[in-house]
Amino acid sequence: MIELTNVFKTYSSGIESLYDINLHIGKEEFVFLVGSSGAGKTTLLKLVYREERPTSGKVVVDRVNVAELDASQIPFLRRNIGVVFQDFKLLAKRTVFENVAFALRVTGAPRSTIRRKAMQALELVGMLRRVNSFPHELSGGEKQRVCIARAIVNNPPILLADEPTGNLDPATSWDILQLLDKINKRNTTVVVATHNKSIVDEMKKRVVVLENGRLVRDQQLGMYHV
Amino acid sequence: MFSSLEFFIVEAFRSIRRGGLMTSVAVVTIAVSLTIFGTFLLLVLNLGNIVSVVSSRMDLTAYTQKDLSLDEAAAIQLKLSRLPGVEKVEFTSKTEAWNKFKGDFGGKFALDEVIRENPLPHTFAVQVRTPDQLTQVARTISNLADIDEVRYSGQLIKQMQTLVGAVRLGGLSLVILLSLATLLIVVNTIRLTVLARETDLYIMKLVGATNSFVKWPFIIEGVIIGLLGGGVACLVLKVSYESTVLRLTQALPFLPLVGDTFLLTAIYAVTVIGGMALGIMGGYISVSRALKNEV
Repeated sequence: MIELTNVFKTYSSGIESLYDINLHIGKEEFVFLVGSSGAGKTTLLKLVYREERPTSGKVVVDRVNVAELDASQIPFLRRNIGVVFQDFKLLAKRTVFENVAFALRVTGAPRSTIRRKAMQALELVGMLRRVNSFPHELSGGEKQRVCIARAIVNNPPILLADEPTGNLDPATSWDILQLLDKINKRNTTVVVATHNKSIVDEMKKRVVVLENGRLVRDQQLGMYHV
Repeated sequence: MFSSLEFFIVEAFRSIRRGGLMTSVAVVTIAVSLTIFGTFLLLVLNLGNIVSVVSSRMDLTAYTQKDLSLDEAAAIQLKLSRLPGVEKVEFTSKTEAWNKFKGDFGGKFALDEVIRENPLPHTFAVQVRTPDQLTQVARTISNLADIDEVRYSGQLIKQMQTLVGAVRLGGLSLVILLSLATLLIVVNTIRLTVLARETDLYIMKLVGATNSFVKWPFIIEGVIIGLLGGGVACLVLKVSYESTVLRLTQALPFLPLVGDTFLLTAIYAVTVIGGMALGIMGGYISVSRALKNEV
């Protein structure tokens, strides 16, 4: 589903973010991308949804090398990739429903489809009660649920999460991971970048470890530390 | 695309509401610039009108040699009326002229007693078809035998035409400069509302919105701001022009002001369309610039 081959990324400031990364993530896998801040986790995710381009190497998503993708095709790539952030990135002046519906609106979907799919996504994340609330009225965990609903509303085959529990307490973090696991079991490839040790250890999934931009360990049923 | 149209329009109005003060600034700027633009247009139009009306009234006067008989004068009249560019020739005999002259001074003193013999020549009032033929016709006539002198106000017409040309040129450059300044202000105003929504743009792009999808609401916002500004300018122009015309025609009834409804409507329409064009360009340029910096 996602394949990185000899990927290097050096930012224009000269900072070397990724160094010779080779990584294959199969269909419907659940992968933890771990490492300390600045290890290159976020950069790696950005390469997948083409917010950044590699300095060299190939980034193949669903058989397409997105490193070479024409700019006009990027929107269509992104409709197949859901992204979840630590800071949620919700539209502050729109309700929960509008935030989720937004991701469908941009695809030009008809109104009835938008309503049905948005409600389905909100039901899946357990936020049906709060459809008319605004983001500032929600707790951190609830905001993250809305963010996840928005990410999956298009039924993308891939879901990327960048530190999804960074702003949440342990119990809520656990709930969010359960939710991501549930989405994974509905045939979605899930990649979670995190430095939350307890969660990684508890979930017993594939663990890919980055250190200073290098891939240093790739282990099935892995732990945060060896 | 059509299912999105409603969304774009709702988004545009939402942005305008949120824009508040900056939106008002953009509307007022467009209105002021277009009012000045329209004022110039009306000024040039009226000056041109005055020149053409005044010069069409301009005729030249040809004086014959004094001792010409009426028959000879009639022959000259025929010759004059056949000259190219001549519209009409009116003949006034020396006797008629003398009687009129005496009538004008009638009663004050007896001219006949002072001046025994009629000192005036026969005169022809010649109207030309178009003002620019005046000089040529005047030259031809003055070269005719039996014509003593030709008088016309060619100099005045030339000066007026130069004046209109200058106003037209100055007005045009001013209008171009003003449009550019207005465009800059509109671009920056809409850009401020774009910047205020940078997160929105980022999220839109993130969930897979195409550039054109992101652009439409801002372009529609530009159309609305432009229409409002242009509409205000149109209203101000219409009201002030009509009251000015009313006052001027009372004070200077002979002044030929433009009252042609079709022409005026065209000018008012140009201001509204101009506002809309400025708004569209402003919206398009600002959002395109913002998108260039986006992911």
